[in-house]
Amino acid sequence: MSAPAVEISGTSFTYPGESTPALANVSLVVQPGQRLGVLGPNGGGKSTLLKLILGLLPVQSGSVRVMGRDPASARRDGLIGYVPQRSEIELGIPLSVRQIVMLAASWRLSPLMGVPGSVRDRVDRAMRLTETDAFADRPIGSLSGGQLQRALIARAIAVSPSILVLDEPTVGIDAPGQVQFAKLLTDLHAQLGLTILTVSHDLRAIAAGSDTVACLARRLHFHASPQGLTPRVLAELFSHDIAGIAGLPGALEGMHVHAHGPGEPCSDPEHVHADTPSTPVTISLPGTTRATGGPASGGEP
Amino acid sequence: MTTWSLVGLPRGLTLANFELWSWLSDPTQREILLPVLASGLAVIVMCAVLSVLVVVKRLAFVGQGVAHSAFGGVGVAAMFAAYTGVTWSSQGSMFELGVVVVFCIASAIGMAGISDRRAVQVDTGIGLFLVASMALGALLVEAARSVAQARGHSAGARSWESVLFGSIMTADWSDALLAAVVGGVVLVVMVLIRRPLLFYVSDETSARAFGVPTGAMRITMMVMLAVATVVAMRLTGVVLSSALLILPGAAALKVSQRIGVVMALSLGFGVGGLVVGMAVSLQGNWSAGPCIVLTLTAFFMIASLARRWLNGAGTRAQASTRAALVP
Repeated sequence: MSAPAVEISGTSFTYPGESTPALANVSLVVQPGQRLGVLGPNGGGKSTLLKLILGLLPVQSGSVRVMGRDPASARRDGLIGYVPQRSEIELGIPLSVRQIVMLAASWRLSPLMGVPGSVRDRVDRAMRLTETDAFADRPIGSLSGGQLQRALIARAIAVSPSILVLDEPTVGIDAPGQVQFAKLLTDLHAQLGLTILTVSHDLRAIAAGSDTVACLARRLHFHASPQGLTPRVLAELFSHDIAGIAGLPGALEGMHVHAHGPGEPCSDPEHVHADTPSTPVTISLPGTTRATGGPASGGEP
Repeated sequence: MTTWSLVGLPRGLTLANFELWSWLSDPTQREILLPVLASGLAVIVMCAVLSVLVVVKRLAFVGQGVAHSAFGGVGVAAMFAAYTGVTWSSQGSMFELGVVVVFCIASAIGMAGISDRRAVQVDTGIGLFLVASMALGALLVEAARSVAQARGHSAGARSWESVLFGSIMTADWSDALLAAVVGGVVLVVMVLIRRPLLFYVSDETSARAFGVPTGAMRITMMVMLAVATVVAMRLTGVVLSSALLILPGAAALKVSQRIGVVMALSLGFGVGGLVVGMAVSLQGNWSAGPCIVLTLTAFFMIASLARRWLNGAGTRAQASTRAALVP
């Protein structure tokens, strides 16, 4: 049996100078080919978890394995394709989409040699799959949010990774772009069999490309199929932090949720309780509606 | 009304009216001017290529910090001279240059380290190095003068004017050779690491996630910046040397978004700025450094206006196309 794509056991992480851990005793297993969405508010430890998986932070306690290996070695060997937040890329750089994708696929080559045909083929395929070949020669800074997202996904899959990691992938993308993004992830999963790990504070991004959900607010509060992810569960999971979750269904949006355990008496007469039925959360993207617990058909226009 | 001759000069105006031409025509003056131009060319080519990366990676303030760190290096070199009695011309010696380069590289790496650890905000860290180096330089130069006096040596420190605004007109062929060698090494390194370097400059976090040794890239970039800044100091001084690492690239990026075109334009703006700046300097008998920097600033403004005009032309063309399509 092959090793899990990602295996995290009892991992905690505290940044130097901080007293509160950014992550506390998190355990998580992602099997090859699985699509996991990590949902959580800002400051909930999503970025820390992502950096641990990418091997960009040292493991302080417990263990983190990627494809059965040390994360840093998996990263160095190109097993992970990373799609950053839009804000990470310097959009002023005078490079075209093709050049940006090519850099990821060719940076290890000897400086004295040209780019071999096999690498060019890989880049062409990645651009075809993401439909970025239509604007391959456009400067990266001139793209819309959705086009840039596809270009960054093309760059990530051009290294033929086993795992695709996306960090806040829907930030800065308009509603039609989010639908296209959801469809693209579904298609890539079907065609390449990638393990996909999406980290976001936006429930829509998680719903778009995940068949398992993990809710993270320093601790891992929920890790299962999205069927169990009801508004009540969300409200209880994130308590005060629910304001940091975007894309919540109308039932929860704008609702002030008080921090107390289920069934405990509430002393605050001002707030509204998340006393909603335990039905699965329905995510509505323009032109598409799916329950997070339903089949992976989300994003179909 | 002005009439124009065949060579493009207004009637009554000949090449002899230009000091630059006079200098080039006269064998004695040419002997002085050619190494100056050669030094300037070597420095400007190196800075023009680097400036594209500096602007894209938003390292302009880092460049300022590195340039001003040179004050500390000058102070350390002056102190050494005061104790040992080593003397050098007002232009400084290879030793002084070496000390300043080492000081600037150490400061650049220190700034990168502080930024990395996020102990303080990036701009605060750079500002800290900048002012501390300037203060250290000022104190050491003052102390060096006292020590030299007490020991009966001549004070070895260069003049502040020379440090602040450069003195390229005194450059000789050995300076030109040094600038050419340093510039050549920087350009060869850039060519050799162009792929990981461009990846690092375009998206540092992703580059790291894809396995690029971003720490090594950052240090290489800082060392290149420090070396270029110190060599550029001879041309324009500490105050203006960082301008050479910003303006050519900034002007080129206003005009194009194609890497090849941007690099070529940056070189063109840099060399043009050097020649026109030198001509203006000789014509008005002004300092060369400020003239070169102001010429480059003018190029940047022209490029910005051209960009605005091109954007406006594009919008007008789109509007007229839409108007033509609407029945």
